[in-house]
Amino acid sequence: MSALTLYQLVALFLLSIGFFGLVWRRTLIGMVISIELMINGAGLSIVAAAQLTPANAVMGQLGTLFVMGLAAAEATLILAIVLIVVKRFKTPQAGEISEMKG
Amino acid sequence: MEILARLAFVLYALVIMSGAIMAVAAKGLVRALVGLIAVMIGVAGMYLLMAAPFVAFMQVLIYVGGVSVLIFFAIMLTKVSPDGDESSPNSLRRTLNALVAMLAPGVILSVVILKYPPDTVPVPTEVGAFNLGKGMLGSYLLPFELISIILFVAMAGAVLVAWRKWGNK
Repeated sequence: MSALTLYQLVALFLLSIGFFGLVWRRTLIGMVISIELMINGAGLSIVAAAQLTPANAVMGQLGTLFVMGLAAAEATLILAIVLIVVKRFKTPQAGEISEMKG
Repeated sequence: MEILARLAFVLYALVIMSGAIMAVAAKGLVRALVGLIAVMIGVAGMYLLMAAPFVAFMQVLIYVGGVSVLIFFAIMLTKVSPDGDESSPNSLRRTLNALVAMLAPGVILSVVILKYPPDTVPVPTEVGAFNLGKGMLGSYLLPFELISIILFVAMAGAVLVAWRKWGNK
Protein backbone atom coordinates (compact mmCIF):
# COMPACT_ATOMS: atom_id res chain seq x y z
CA MET A 1 0.00 0.00 0.00
CA SER A 2 1.58 3.24 -1.10
CA ALA A 3 1.80 6.40 0.96
CA LEU A 4 -0.67 8.12 -1.36
CA THR A 5 -3.30 5.46 -0.62
CA LEU A 6 -2.85 5.96 3.13
CA TYR A 7 -3.27 9.73 2.85
CA GLN A 8 -6.33 9.30 0.62
CA LEU A 9 -7.87 6.90 3.12
CA VAL A 10 -7.43 9.45 5.93
CA ALA A 11 -9.02 12.12 3.73
CA LEU A 12 -11.87 9.75 2.89
CA PHE A 13 -12.37 9.11 6.62
CA LEU A 14 -12.73 12.85 7.18
CA LEU A 15 -15.22 13.11 4.30
CA SER A 16 -17.44 10.27 5.47
CA ILE A 17 -17.44 11.25 9.13
CA GLY A 18 -18.28 14.78 8.01
CA PHE A 19 -21.30 13.39 6.15
CA PHE A 20 -22.27 11.46 9.26
CA GLY A 21 -22.12 14.58 11.41
CA LEU A 22 -23.98 16.67 8.85
CA VAL A 23 -26.97 14.33 9.00
CA TRP A 24 -26.71 13.40 12.67
CA ARG A 25 -26.26 16.82 14.27
CA ARG A 26 -29.33 18.83 15.21
CA THR A 27 -27.84 22.28 15.76
CA LEU A 28 -26.74 24.58 12.97
CA ILE A 29 -23.29 25.10 14.45
CA GLY A 30 -22.75 21.34 14.71
CA MET A 31 -23.47 21.08 10.99
CA VAL A 32 -20.95 23.84 10.27
CA ILE A 33 -18.31 21.93 12.23
CA SER A 34 -19.03 18.81 10.15
CA ILE A 35 -18.68 20.80 6.92
CA GLU A 36 -15.29 22.09 8.07
CA LEU A 37 -14.23 18.47 8.64
CA MET A 38 -15.11 17.64 5.05
CA ILE A 39 -13.23 20.67 3.72
CA ASN A 40 -10.13 19.63 5.66
CA GLY A 41 -10.36 16.20 4.10
CA ALA A 42 -10.60 17.76 0.64
CA GLY A 43 -7.47 19.83 1.21
CA LEU A 44 -5.56 16.81 2.46
CA SER A 45 -6.59 14.80 -0.57
CA ILE A 46 -5.59 17.53 -3.02
CA VAL A 47 -2.14 18.05 -1.49
CA ALA A 48 -1.51 14.29 -1.32
CA ALA A 49 -2.44 13.87 -4.96
CA ALA A 50 -0.18 16.76 -5.96
CA GLN A 51 2.85 15.90 -3.86
CA LEU A 52 3.00 12.12 -4.20
CA THR A 53 2.31 11.78 -7.92
CA PRO A 54 4.24 13.21 -10.88
CA ALA A 55 1.56 15.91 -11.22
CA ASN A 56 2.24 19.63 -10.95
CA ALA A 57 2.94 20.26 -7.26
CA VAL A 58 2.53 24.04 -7.44
CA MET A 59 -0.97 23.67 -8.84
CA GLY A 60 -2.02 21.29 -6.09
CA GLN A 61 -0.69 23.40 -3.25
CA LEU A 62 -2.24 26.57 -4.71
CA GLY A 63 -5.52 24.68 -5.08
CA THR A 64 -5.45 23.85 -1.39
CA LEU A 65 -4.68 27.47 -0.53
CA PHE A 66 -7.69 28.57 -2.60
CA VAL A 67 -9.85 25.96 -0.85
CA MET A 68 -8.75 27.47 2.46
CA GLY A 69 -9.71 30.96 1.26
CA LEU A 70 -13.11 29.68 0.16
CA ALA A 71 -13.57 28.00 3.53
CA ALA A 72 -12.82 31.26 5.31
CA ALA A 73 -15.34 33.15 3.16
CA GLU A 74 -17.92 30.42 3.69
CA ALA A 75 -17.41 30.48 7.46
CA THR A 76 -17.94 34.26 7.54
CA LEU A 77 -21.19 34.04 5.59
CA ILE A 78 -22.44 31.08 7.60
CA LEU A 79 -21.80 32.98 10.83
CA ALA A 80 -23.97 35.88 9.62
CA ILE A 81 -26.74 33.61 8.34
CA VAL A 82 -26.81 31.53 11.53
CA LEU A 83 -27.00 34.70 13.61
CA ILE A 84 -30.02 35.96 11.68
CA VAL A 85 -31.80 32.62 11.71
CA VAL A 86 -31.27 32.17 15.45
CA LYS A 87 -32.48 35.71 16.15
CA ARG A 88 -35.60 35.18 14.11
CA PHE A 89 -36.60 31.68 15.18
CA LYS A 90 -35.20 31.91 18.74
CA THR A 91 -33.65 28.44 18.52
CA PRO A 92 -30.42 26.97 17.15
CA GLN A 93 -32.09 23.60 16.48
CA ALA A 94 -32.30 22.93 12.77
CA GLY A 95 -35.43 20.79 13.03
CA GLU A 96 -37.56 23.55 14.50
CA ILE A 97 -36.73 26.11 11.85
CA SER A 98 -39.80 25.95 9.66
CA GLU A 99 -42.51 28.40 8.80
CA MET A 100 -44.97 26.13 7.03
CA LYS A 101 -47.64 24.43 9.08
CA GLY A 102 -48.41 20.83 8.33
CA MET B 1 13.98 7.84 8.64
CA GLU B 2 11.40 5.58 7.10
CA ILE B 3 10.33 4.28 10.51
CA LEU B 4 10.20 7.82 11.92
CA ALA B 5 7.99 8.95 9.05
CA ARG B 6 5.65 6.02 9.59
CA LEU B 7 5.48 6.75 13.31
CA ALA B 8 4.67 10.39 12.66
CA PHE B 9 1.98 9.38 10.17
CA VAL B 10 0.36 7.02 12.67
CA LEU B 11 0.50 9.72 15.35
CA TYR B 12 -1.15 12.32 13.12
CA ALA B 13 -3.73 9.79 11.93
CA LEU B 14 -4.63 9.01 15.54
CA VAL B 15 -4.96 12.72 16.33
CA ILE B 16 -7.19 13.21 13.27
CA MET B 17 -9.40 10.20 14.00
CA SER B 18 -9.96 10.93 17.67
CA GLY B 19 -10.53 14.61 16.91
CA ALA B 20 -13.03 13.83 14.17
CA ILE B 21 -14.98 11.44 16.38
CA MET B 22 -15.00 14.06 19.14
CA ALA B 23 -16.15 16.72 16.65
CA VAL B 24 -19.21 14.78 15.54
CA ALA B 25 -20.11 12.95 18.74
CA ALA B 26 -19.46 15.39 21.60
CA LYS B 27 -22.50 16.62 23.49
CA GLY B 28 -21.38 20.21 23.94
CA LEU B 29 -20.56 22.31 20.92
CA VAL B 30 -17.41 23.78 22.45
CA ARG B 31 -15.99 20.28 22.89
CA ALA B 32 -16.89 19.52 19.29
CA LEU B 33 -14.96 22.64 18.31
CA VAL B 34 -11.93 21.42 20.28
CA GLY B 35 -12.12 18.16 18.33
CA LEU B 36 -12.25 20.12 15.09
CA ILE B 37 -9.12 22.06 16.10
CA ALA B 38 -7.35 18.75 16.83
CA VAL B 39 -8.27 17.57 13.33
CA MET B 40 -6.92 20.79 11.79
CA ILE B 41 -3.61 20.45 13.64
CA GLY B 42 -3.32 16.81 12.61
CA VAL B 43 -3.94 17.73 8.97
CA ALA B 44 -1.26 20.43 9.24
CA GLY B 45 1.15 17.77 10.50
CA MET B 46 0.32 15.60 7.50
CA TYR B 47 1.06 18.54 5.18
CA LEU B 48 4.47 18.80 6.87
CA LEU B 49 5.03 15.08 6.30
CA MET B 50 4.25 15.54 2.61
CA ALA B 51 6.95 18.24 2.33
CA ALA B 52 4.47 21.10 1.96
CA PRO B 53 5.50 23.37 4.86
CA PHE B 54 3.88 26.52 3.45
CA VAL B 55 0.49 24.87 3.21
CA ALA B 56 0.91 23.53 6.75
CA PHE B 57 1.71 27.02 7.99
CA MET B 58 -1.33 28.44 6.21
CA GLN B 59 -3.49 25.66 7.63
CA VAL B 60 -2.51 26.63 11.16
CA LEU B 61 -2.87 30.33 10.39
CA ILE B 62 -6.23 30.27 8.60
CA TYR B 63 -8.05 27.33 10.14
CA VAL B 64 -6.74 27.15 13.68
CA GLY B 65 -6.35 30.90 13.97
CA GLY B 66 -9.30 32.18 11.94
CA VAL B 67 -12.08 29.77 11.13
CA SER B 68 -12.16 28.16 14.57
CA VAL B 69 -12.43 31.58 16.22
CA LEU B 70 -15.30 32.42 13.86
CA ILE B 71 -17.11 29.22 14.81
CA PHE B 72 -16.48 29.97 18.46
CA PHE B 73 -18.07 33.40 18.00
CA ALA B 74 -21.05 31.70 16.39
CA ILE B 75 -21.36 29.36 19.37
CA MET B 76 -21.18 32.28 21.80
CA LEU B 77 -23.66 34.47 19.94
CA THR B 78 -26.33 31.81 19.48
CA LYS B 79 -26.71 31.16 23.23
CA VAL B 80 -26.38 27.41 23.31
CA SER B 81 -27.29 25.77 26.59
CA PRO B 82 -24.33 24.87 28.80
CA ASP B 83 -25.15 21.16 29.11
CA GLY B 84 -25.20 20.79 25.35
CA ASP B 85 -27.91 21.14 22.73
CA GLU B 86 -27.37 17.61 21.54
CA SER B 87 -27.88 16.00 24.95
CA SER B 88 -31.33 14.54 24.28
CA PRO B 89 -31.09 11.15 22.61
CA ASN B 90 -31.18 11.17 18.85
CA SER B 91 -33.94 9.32 17.03
CA LEU B 92 -33.13 5.92 15.56
CA ARG B 93 -34.22 6.94 12.09
CA ARG B 94 -31.86 9.90 12.05
CA THR B 95 -28.98 7.71 13.23
CA LEU B 96 -29.70 5.18 10.48
CA ASN B 97 -29.81 7.97 7.90
CA ALA B 98 -26.49 9.28 9.16
CA LEU B 99 -24.91 5.82 8.97
CA VAL B 100 -26.09 5.46 5.37
CA ALA B 101 -24.74 8.92 4.54
CA MET B 102 -21.40 7.90 6.06
CA LEU B 103 -21.10 4.45 4.53
CA ALA B 104 -22.26 5.15 0.97
CA PRO B 105 -19.40 7.46 -0.08
CA GLY B 106 -16.99 5.74 2.30
CA VAL B 107 -17.39 2.25 0.88
CA ILE B 108 -17.59 3.28 -2.78
CA LEU B 109 -14.61 5.63 -2.70
CA SER B 110 -12.44 3.33 -0.59
CA VAL B 111 -13.01 0.51 -3.08
CA VAL B 112 -11.96 2.89 -5.87
CA ILE B 113 -8.89 4.07 -3.95
CA LEU B 114 -7.74 0.55 -3.04
CA LYS B 115 -8.47 -1.02 -6.42
CA TYR B 116 -6.96 1.58 -8.74
CA PRO B 117 -3.84 3.06 -7.17
CA PRO B 118 -2.17 5.62 -9.44
CA ASP B 119 1.56 5.92 -10.10
CA THR B 120 3.21 7.48 -7.10
CA VAL B 121 6.59 8.94 -6.29
CA PRO B 122 7.93 7.62 -2.98
CA VAL B 123 9.65 10.82 -1.82
CA PRO B 124 7.83 14.10 -2.48
CA THR B 125 9.84 17.09 -3.65
CA GLU B 126 9.41 20.35 -1.82
CA VAL B 127 8.32 23.40 -3.80
CA GLY B 128 9.18 26.43 -1.74
CA ALA B 129 7.15 29.52 -1.07
CA PHE B 130 9.12 31.21 -3.86
CA ASN B 131 7.70 28.88 -6.51
CA LEU B 132 4.23 29.14 -5.00
CA GLY B 133 4.37 32.92 -5.21
CA LYS B 134 5.57 32.78 -8.79
CA GLY B 135 2.70 30.47 -9.65
CA MET B 136 0.23 32.73 -7.88
CA LEU B 137 1.33 35.78 -9.88
CA GLY B 138 1.99 33.85 -13.08
CA SER B 139 -0.07 30.97 -14.41
CA TYR B 140 -2.71 31.10 -11.68
CA LEU B 141 -3.27 34.84 -11.52
CA LEU B 142 -6.97 34.67 -12.36
CA PRO B 143 -8.00 32.37 -9.47
CA PHE B 144 -5.83 34.45 -7.16
CA GLU B 145 -7.71 37.61 -8.11
CA LEU B 146 -11.07 35.84 -7.99
CA ILE B 147 -10.46 34.58 -4.46
CA SER B 148 -9.80 38.13 -3.31
CA ILE B 149 -13.10 39.25 -4.85
CA ILE B 150 -14.89 36.35 -3.20
CA LEU B 151 -13.41 37.22 0.19
CA PHE B 152 -14.43 40.85 -0.20
CA VAL B 153 -17.96 39.97 -1.28
CA ALA B 154 -18.33 37.50 1.57
CA MET B 155 -17.21 40.01 4.17
CA ALA B 156 -19.36 42.81 2.78
CA GLY B 157 -22.32 40.46 2.48
CA ALA B 158 -21.92 39.23 6.04
CA VAL B 159 -21.83 42.78 7.39
CA LEU B 160 -24.81 43.82 5.28
CA VAL B 161 -26.93 40.79 6.17
CA ALA B 162 -26.31 41.03 9.91
CA TRP B 163 -26.56 44.83 10.05
CA ARG B 164 -29.85 45.21 8.18
CA LYS B 165 -31.58 42.74 10.42
CA TRP B 166 -30.44 44.51 13.55
CA GLY B 167 -31.24 47.90 12.09
CA ASN B 168 -34.90 46.97 11.55
CA LYS B 169 -35.44 46.10 15.16
